[in-house]
Amino acid sequence: MLGRFRHGYVAPAAILVAVLLYAPFLWTAYLSLTRYDGLEPPAWIGFANFAKLLDDPALITSTRNTLIWVAGTMVLPVGLGLLVAVLSYDIRGGAWYRVPFMLPYALSGAGLAMVWSPILSHDGISNLLLGVDTAFLQEAPDNTLAMLLVWTWQQLGVNTLLFVVGLQSIPKEPIEAARLDGASGWRLFRHVIWPLMRPLTAVVVGLALVASLKTFDIVWVLTQGGPGRNSETLAVTMYKETFVASDYGYGSAVAVMLTVVTGLASYLYLRRQVR
Amino acid sequence: MYRSRVATLGVAALVLTACGGNGAAAPQKKTELTLYNDKGAWTKYFDEMGALSKQRIGLGMKPNGYTDSAQYQAFIKASFRTDVKPDLFTWQTGGMLEEIVKQKQVAETTAVWQEAIKAGDLSQDLAPYYTIGGKQYCVPMNVAYWGMFFNKKIFDKYGLKPPATWDELVQTAETLKKNGVKAFYHTSVLFSFVWFEQLMAGTDPDLYDRLAAGKAKYTDPGVVQVMERWKQLIDAGYFINPGDKTDPGDVLKNGKAAMVSFGTWFNTSMTQRDMKPGVDYDFFVIPNVNPALPKTSMIFESGPLCSLAKAADPDASMNYLKWWTTAEAQEKWATSRGDVSANPKVTIKDEALGAVTKDAGSGKYRLVNRYFEATPPPILTAALDGFSKFVAEPATYKEVLETIQKEADEYWSTHQ
Repeated sequence: MLGRFRHGYVAPAAILVAVLLYAPFLWTAYLSLTRYDGLEPPAWIGFANFAKLLDDPALITSTRNTLIWVAGTMVLPVGLGLLVAVLSYDIRGGAWYRVPFMLPYALSGAGLAMVWSPILSHDGISNLLLGVDTAFLQEAPDNTLAMLLVWTWQQLGVNTLLFVVGLQSIPKEPIEAARLDGASGWRLFRHVIWPLMRPLTAVVVGLALVASLKTFDIVWVLTQGGPGRNSETLAVTMYKETFVASDYGYGSAVAVMLTVVTGLASYLYLRRQVR
Repeated sequence: MYRSRVATLGVAALVLTACGGNGAAAPQKKTELTLYNDKGAWTKYFDEMGALSKQRIGLGMKPNGYTDSAQYQAFIKASFRTDVKPDLFTWQTGGMLEEIVKQKQVAETTAVWQEAIKAGDLSQDLAPYYTIGGKQYCVPMNVAYWGMFFNKKIFDKYGLKPPATWDELVQTAETLKKNGVKAFYHTSVLFSFVWFEQLMAGTDPDLYDRLAAGKAKYTDPGVVQVMERWKQLIDAGYFINPGDKTDPGDVLKNGKAAMVSFGTWFNTSMTQRDMKPGVDYDFFVIPNVNPALPKTSMIFESGPLCSLAKAADPDASMNYLKWWTTAEAQEKWATSRGDVSANPKVTIKDEALGAVTKDAGSGKYRLVNRYFEATPPPILTAALDGFSKFVAEPATYKEVLETIQKEADEYWSTHQ
C-alpha cells in the first residue's frame, strides 16, 4: 500500500531539485560555450573559453592555490582531527578536551573570516603577540597557508567528532582479540583500528575533499583573492570572472571545470574506498 | 496509483508556476519608490531624502543599499530580464553607463536636463558625462573633486602646511617619516588605482586621456616612469601597509596615516566620525608632479542616479529624478553628508570644499575623469588587480603594466 504513494512523496522534492539545481547547471554549461556579458544575448563561441583556461596565468595560480587547499586540508583539519580523536576518545573526560575544538564549527565561513581579519591583518593581534612584522595575507603562498590555518581552527572539531563516532562504533571483539595477541599502541591502531574505521574515513576525507575544492568564503572575506589575484582559488576565480569582470561565459567555463574536477576527484576517491 | 500521479503532477505544476514569471506587469501608480544603490553606508542619508520627498512631492523613497559593488551590479543587470525592477538605481558614468544605455534599459532624461540647465539647477559642463548618442540619461546623484584630506592635528604638531608644489608634498612626507608617522594611505582592495591616476594626471594628463581612449599603451615610457615614481614613494616608506583593512576614515582620524586621497564624498566619512573641518582635518588640492603644466590637474567624478525605461511607474521615477536635481533636494543631500553638490545654487558649508567647487566651476583646474569611469570595464578589472599586486610587490610594476596592456589590446582590438 505504502509503495503506491512513494512516488508522490519523493517526486515533489526530486522535481524541485531538478528545477533549481540541474536546470541552472545545464544553463551554466551552455553559457560556458558562449561569450556573454550579462547584457547582450550569449554568442556561441564553442570551446574558446576552455582553450583560454589553459593559457590563463590567473587560472594557473588559482589551481595551484586550490591544490594547496586540498593537500593542506588532508594534513591539517583531517589529520589533526584524527589525532585528537585517537588521543581523547577512550580517556576519562575526553569529551571536555574536544569541546574547545568543536566550538568554532558554529561559525559560518564568512563570520570566521571576519573574526580572523583583525588577527591576521598587518597591524593585527598576531603580529603584536608574536612580536613580528609580517604581512600574513599579502605574499603567496603564505596568505593561502595562513587562511588554511584559520580553516583548520574551524574544521578540526567536526572532523574529530566524526572520527570519535567512528572509533566508538568499532566492535570491541577484534580489538580485544588483538590485545590478547599482544598488539598495542601504534601496531594496534595501524593494523586493527584504522582498517575498521575505513568506511568512516572515506566519508570524512570525501567531505573534506569536496569542501576544500570549493573554498570560497574565507578567501573572499579575508583577501578577495588578492593582492593581485595571488590568493584566488578556483571558486574565487569563478566568482570574479563572472560577477566582477562580467565575463559570464568564462566564469561559467571555470564553474564547469571546477564541477568536473570535484565530481571526478570524489568519484575516483570513493570508488577506491567503497569497494 | 493514478491518484498519486495526479497529486505529483499537481505539486509539480504549482512549483513551476511559482518559479515562472507573472507576465507583463500592468503600469502601477506608486507613492513610494525603491532606490537601489551600492552605497550601503549612506542609508541614513537616503532615508532622510525619502522623508523630504514624501513631504514635498508626495512621493516617498526607500533605499535598498548594497555594500558589495559586484553583487550590486549583477543584481541590476539581472533585473533587466526579470520583473523585480528597481524604481531608481545608482550606477557609474563612462563605459558602464554606455553599456546599459546601448541595451535600451535606461530611461532618457534629456527633458529633465534641459529644464534643469535652464533653471540653473545643473551646469552644461556636466552634461557630457551623461550624454550618449546626443541624448542624456540619468541625473547626477553626486559629483566629487579629488584631493588630499589631511589630519590637521598631526600637521600642526609638526609645523606642516598644505604643500603648494609636488616637491613640498614629498618634503612633507619626509618630515612625517622622520617623526615616525606614515604620510599616505593606500590600499590593495578596489581603490588601488588612486595613486596611479593622481600621478598620471599630475605628470601628463594628455597621456592619461590617451590611455583611457586606447590611443596609448600601458607599456609606454611615460606610464612606466609614473609607476617608477610611485614605486620610489612606496620604497621611501611613505605609505601605510596596503593590506591594512582599517576604514580610511579611521586611518585619518587615528592618525595611522596623515593624508588620505579621495573624492569630496570622503567628507561624509568625516561627518560620520564627528570630525570638524579646519580643526580635526582639512583638504588641499594635490599639486602637479610636473610644474610646467598650465593648470593643476584635478580628478573629477560624477555618479548617476538612473531609472529604467521599463520601470514599474516610469512617470513617478522621472518625477523623482526631476525633483532630485532641484536646489531644495540638493541642499539637503549635500549638507546632511557634508559634501558638495551638482547643483551650482547649493551653498557648500565646508569652506575648503566650497572653495574647490567654486574654483573648479571657474575653470581654474584641468578636470580629469576618474580612472574608474574613464577606463573600459574589462581593462579596469585587470588594472585594479594589477595595481593591487603592485602595491603589495612594487618590484612587479613592469609585469603589471604588461598584464594590463594585454587586456587593453584584447579590448581595443574590437572596440576602436
